[in-house]
Amino acid sequence: MNKKLMELENTGALQADNIVGEPALQPAPKIEASAAPAPAFPGQERRKKPRISETPPAPAPPPKLDDYERIIGKAAIDEIRFLASSLHGKTVKMVNSTAVGGGVAEMLNRLVPLLGEVEVPTKWDVITGGNDFFELTKAFHNALHGGSYHLTKEARETFLRYNEQNQQRMSFEEDLVVIHDPQPAGLVSARGGNPNARWVWRCHIDLSNPNPEVWGFLRPMVERYNAAVFSSPSFARPSAIPQYLIYPCIDPLSEKNKDLDDSVIQRVCDDFGIDRSRPIVTQISRFDRLKDPIGVVQAYKLAKQYVDCQLVLAGGGASDDPEGDIVLQEVRAAAQDDPDIILLNLPPWCALEVNALQRASTLVVQKSLREGFGLTVTEALWKGKPTIAGAVGGIPTQVIHKLTGALVHSVEGCAYQIRYLLTHPEFAKQLGKNGREHVKENFLMTSNLRRWLLLFKILSGTAG
Amino acid sequence: MASSTITQKTVRTASKAFYFNSSAHLLRIGQERAGTVAELLAGLRACPEDSIFQHTFRTLEEHHFIREGFSNDFAHWTFTVCKELALAEQLASVDVREFTSIKALRERIVKIVDDYIQANPGAGDRPAREPFYFCSSEIVVLPTAFMARNLTEFAQGLTQVTVHCIHHHFIEARLRLKLISNDFSLWLQEEMQLPKVARAVESIDIYTGTLEDVRRRILQLVAGAQEAL
Repeated sequence: MNKKLMELENTGALQADNIVGEPALQPAPKIEASAAPAPAFPGQERRKKPRISETPPAPAPPPKLDDYERIIGKAAIDEIRFLASSLHGKTVKMVNSTAVGGGVAEMLNRLVPLLGEVEVPTKWDVITGGNDFFELTKAFHNALHGGSYHLTKEARETFLRYNEQNQQRMSFEEDLVVIHDPQPAGLVSARGGNPNARWVWRCHIDLSNPNPEVWGFLRPMVERYNAAVFSSPSFARPSAIPQYLIYPCIDPLSEKNKDLDDSVIQRVCDDFGIDRSRPIVTQISRFDRLKDPIGVVQAYKLAKQYVDCQLVLAGGGASDDPEGDIVLQEVRAAAQDDPDIILLNLPPWCALEVNALQRASTLVVQKSLREGFGLTVTEALWKGKPTIAGAVGGIPTQVIHKLTGALVHSVEGCAYQIRYLLTHPEFAKQLGKNGREHVKENFLMTSNLRRWLLLFKILSGTAG
Repeated sequence: MASSTITQKTVRTASKAFYFNSSAHLLRIGQERAGTVAELLAGLRACPEDSIFQHTFRTLEEHHFIREGFSNDFAHWTFTVCKELALAEQLASVDVREFTSIKALRERIVKIVDDYIQANPGAGDRPAREPFYFCSSEIVVLPTAFMARNLTEFAQGLTQVTVHCIHHHFIEARLRLKLISNDFSLWLQEEMQLPKVARAVESIDIYTGTLEDVRRRILQLVAGAQEAL
């Protein structure tokens, strides 16, 4: 019986100890280590009853700018404050389509308070719409990623009607207005109300190969902005307006990235049956074909012929993705009965566990076939982990081959890098060290804040 | 009465203080892109000077933590994406500190790529796996809280400033000064009368060390000078 092939199903009532190959147990209450009977081997008991909360924890208060001083230094904090000083008196509005969930909301939850703290008062508004609007904008999203789509007259009217309704509901008196992503892009028609305001379209998605009908519809709106911001030069379109690059970022003080005491890491590994005395190769991502989890299993199996290791595939969010369950079954089949492959389907609020898994890992893999910016790569690099990743999307910006990690293009390449890095720990360590510095310089929340302030200075004519 | 010798360290005071500044950059995505080495050459000839600056001077700052194997974006792209190794080596050998103008730097890079295409017919039109995107940099100069009138204050300031500040004074400075030198060396020479130290600072190799290494090395040189005074 394969006891290590474990899934924590994210399905309403969390089936926290559904061990593949055994009957599913009822959701387990949190069990303290001391209450468990003596395990037959380390971690056995707790692995069956991992202490995963069934409900999301209350969000922690956002950090203050000075909290980042121990990470980036006082001089860097001073530079941010100086940049902000010439913007005092300016006001900013951010508009997106959701207040919770998703990377944009997560980033705004941190950025907006920090802008306020440096005396650049920033208001965050969220557009509203019916199901028809959000179904349409989801279709737009897929089409802008290159999917086929026929844009009907009705779809155009629905998009414009909801944008018009939101425009009526909101006011735009701020000096700088930042509209995130395509959903609220039509709000730009309100810019006539304050002719001195500067409008920015922040596009978080890859427009390198958009559906021509949808892009043809959105483009005239986008070109009414003063500037557009992308996450990578490869995501941008040729445009008549200035286009800037602001990388996505991670928050080093968040639950997912903060420093952890080793006892926490050990507890999580014990809970999940991961043996820290042996090499651990981990991919954190939802069970999605574009993340190529089966390719990771194949690479692990090739590498395992030469080096001992365990493979942890941990992700979540499958409950709202019908294909996720199918992919999970396929991965399970590919894993067969290998006791060293550990599948964890975690609920989305398991940030601390993900953090611990990344920190426990010897190597981190992100063998995506298609990717946005790839913030899971950023997270791994920040933790100083030697990282092997597919050369797609924004990953090559982060993983500079043989300098901050290893880029791969195939299962065989991934397998070779696993073998190489596990047998060359000093080189792997140097990659991890460089990777962390790369994130510190370019992909932390503080760098993001610095770049937004720079953009505001440039657009408001105070750059000098 | 026994005579005693009292050694008093000389503290030189600058008539002009050294003001530590820093700079912040925002990357602007350009219109030019290249899918082959020939297109790279066309882009190099047509792009604004800000783009040449971004992909040479500025990229060193973005990758300041790498001790070896990174020199400029053109070399990196021709090496990793185009696999034109000889071209990449020649481009990587371009030391930005030999240039006091972007115009001259552009001419040098254009000549290397042009010569390579002439010598390797066919190399120019081989499609690259990923395009090269020409970008440029918008710069804002930032003052810092640090100022020095003597070597002790200079060392204190240098210890505390960001690497952006070191890049600003040590690498970007030559474009402002139009001299094969840097702000630190000029001040050490003109205000502290330490020409040997100034030369030693200027000769620090930025392509085999990080900007933190540069900071450490300058601090060592300054400490040595203080000992000798």
